[in-house]
Amino acid sequence: MTTGPISTGIMPNVTEGSVADAIGGVRLATRSDESDLRELTSLAVQGDRSAIETLLGRLRPMVVRYCRARLGRVAGQYHIADDVAQEVCIAVLSALPRYRDMGRPFASFVFGIASHKVADALRSSVRSAVPTQDLPDGPDDGPGPEETVVRYIEAEHARRLLSRLPDNQRELIILRVVSGLSAEETGNVLGMSPGAVRVAQHRALARLRAMAELESIA
Amino acid sequence: MSALDPYCQARSLRPGGEESGVVADDMICRELSRREAPADSGDPAVRLLQALIDDVDQRRSSVSITPST
Repeated sequence: MTTGPISTGIMPNVTEGSVADAIGGVRLATRSDESDLRELTSLAVQGDRSAIETLLGRLRPMVVRYCRARLGRVAGQYHIADDVAQEVCIAVLSALPRYRDMGRPFASFVFGIASHKVADALRSSVRSAVPTQDLPDGPDDGPGPEETVVRYIEAEHARRLLSRLPDNQRELIILRVVSGLSAEETGNVLGMSPGAVRVAQHRALARLRAMAELESIA
Repeated sequence: MSALDPYCQARSLRPGGEESGVVADDMICRELSRREAPADSGDPAVRLLQALIDDVDQRRSSVSITPST
């Protein structure tokens, strides 16, 4: 599978497999020492290649998850979402020299870009273009067809119910739960206090429960 | 300046009030965000979000379930 001609030398390609290699990266990216991340960002802004690579390595798994959760699959694949995640990373890379630390976490800057890129992708008609995956050279150790279909149906059900939440609640749940941001980081992205995030996520979960229960009765 | 409404206070602090729900759901969100399975697996919201997380985290999709034309 290819991810398009948008990769650069400094940044690893986002492939469909790459996000799972960083499952622990959720914690690494969001629970790391804030001052450490701030220093890393500062070095990256000054053009330090190693700092840029480390910074993008921490942020990329969260961006991929965010794009996958927002855009979903096209023809059963995450090509489009992964390409958009790659575009987000490139946009962040391009904007780095102009980034100024105004006291907000770097993640809020990144997810601001991601939110716009996802909105562009949703408006765009390129979603119909589906590249063909290369044939694998060896045995596939991933889930089998039955498990894949069950997982797909459950995830689509979740997306469908999430799409019925108010926009701000959907965005909050995706950032907080799927991308793996803390309540503080989610609040910084959305311009809310951590307390307001906690109340809003509680209300969003209550709505999800109510919708799921209503569907199970119907 | 008015004091807090005693009814609201009582409502938010009693078991099942909004405050206890906020705390419980924050714990759920934290565990899901850290990819730790929350204790209450019978919760439909947890099940839905867990399914979405499993889907976006997965290594690769082995098949396309939409037939190509």
